[in-house]
Amino acid sequence: MTAQKSRNASLLSHLGDAALPFGIVVALLATWEAAVHLLKIQPFVLPAPTEIFKELLISGPTVILPQLHVTLIETLAGYLAAVIISAILSVLILYSSTFRRGVLPLIVASQTIPIITMAPVLVIWFGYNSLPRIIITAIVAFFPLTIAAVTGLKSLEPQFIDFFRSLNATPAQIFFKLRLPVALPSIFGGLKVAATLAVIGATISEWVGASQGIGYLIAQDTALLNTTRVFASLTVLGVAGMALFGLVGLIERLSMPWIYARPSMAWLRASQNPRAPAAAVARPRQ
Amino acid sequence: MDGVRLQISNLHSGYATPDRGLVPTVDGVDLALNRNEFVSIIGPSGCGKSTLFNVIAGLLSPTSGEVALDGKAIVGRPGHVAYMMQRDLLLPWRTILDNVVLGPELAGKPMEAARNRAAALLRRFGLEGYENSYPSSLSGGMRQRAALLRTILCDRSVVLLDEPFGALDALTRATMHEWLLGIQREFQQTMILITHDPDEAIYLSDRVYVATPRPMRFAGIVPIELPYDRGRDVTMTPQFADHKRQVLALLRGDKGALDALH
Repeated sequence: MTAQKSRNASLLSHLGDAALPFGIVVALLATWEAAVHLLKIQPFVLPAPTEIFKELLISGPTVILPQLHVTLIETLAGYLAAVIISAILSVLILYSSTFRRGVLPLIVASQTIPIITMAPVLVIWFGYNSLPRIIITAIVAFFPLTIAAVTGLKSLEPQFIDFFRSLNATPAQIFFKLRLPVALPSIFGGLKVAATLAVIGATISEWVGASQGIGYLIAQDTALLNTTRVFASLTVLGVAGMALFGLVGLIERLSMPWIYARPSMAWLRASQNPRAPAAAVARPRQ
Repeated sequence: MDGVRLQISNLHSGYATPDRGLVPTVDGVDLALNRNEFVSIIGPSGCGKSTLFNVIAGLLSPTSGEVALDGKAIVGRPGHVAYMMQRDLLLPWRTILDNVVLGPELAGKPMEAARNRAAALLRRFGLEGYENSYPSSLSGGMRQRAALLRTILCDRSVVLLDEPFGALDALTRATMHEWLLGIQREFQQTMILITHDPDEAIYLSDRVYVATPRPMRFAGIVPIELPYDRGRDVTMTPQFADHKRQVLALLRGDKGALDALH
């Protein structure tokens, strides 16, 4: 009974959580719509939300989505590459002091270069295809991921290592059964930041040296003053970015049940289980 | 007496400093522990007790001296004794059942058997119904019992307990003492306990080693002459009070304390 009630209550509070930002968005869109009509703003300067919605219905399925498909493939390929690169780098940084002292400062220095400006050069090197854009996406996304992973892998309290060593654990056991689980929250933080950066990296790299992709479409439409479709494309891109972010968040929840399991669940189970009566519930007081 | 389990002879330990040379932390410690015995080491905070445990556990190499387990030298070789540290150190991402079978798992033992054995012991450790819970949903006392179950399931011939009840409130601690003594008798464990609580040391032990402040050596050994089967009431007896007087005198550094009382 109590479990049912509290579940309903938490569902309601979740709906309440979503209602507020939703209300703000509706209010903003209404103001925007009213402003465009009242101030007679030209569509190529700022299209009304209803116009953008119409554009979405017209050119969404035929024009925008095929371009989004191209961009998403670049995003995912670059993201995957960033994950692999980060995994290798963070382990090297963790275990090799030579690497840490010799290469880490260079990686940090490389981040001060605006990578996007490298896009035309990469096209010269790798040709007029997806590869240069995948490379740029990976370069943009790997850095925060690597830093997050290293921070997480180092956050282990030394007492845990002593404890594992007292059990004669191998270095591999210490890494996989101790360091990695401890680092997971930090790694997922990095994965989320990298997911949004990957979308931005892929889109912006299409502005220069591309013949397809949603970034290319936005650049073309901007030049033609087709601002309405630019906004429609941005809307689609925003939804795609949020979906990717949400997907990483979902994987995070599934990978770390000990963080997302409610602490009270054990108590509810004990009180509902007829075979573990009062004793099991009363015991935790000490 | 069916043989000495753990023999520590003339153990010295210390750490090197740039300006003061070698600073000793353990200065000539001898200790012999028989099978199924429970001994306590009591001393002021920071006297080097934990250093001694780290040496016995093989985590730290001593400057000189011997540590032998069942006649074999184990200096600098971890994995021979079970070590329960001050904090419970339960892994938050593992359920209670997965936590307590960590020892056999790291040793590469068959897990099916280990899990069955652990599941059967959960009730005795007051953890029944919590096998699939995460440590964060357990109380301090339950966490310590889970940590002790994990220690015992490591199947080592000697168990080191480093102030396991230090963080618990007084009432919980008293209950845990009685329970621990029961566990030690039932599972025939050979245990060394580090504490700075004289009552805890006397109530639980066959012998109490009183340590001096840094560098650590033993000021004296108090044999505890309380009945083998002892309840909480034993702490009210004159015998218990005598032992406490002996221990406190030794802690104060009164060298003649032992002789005067005998």
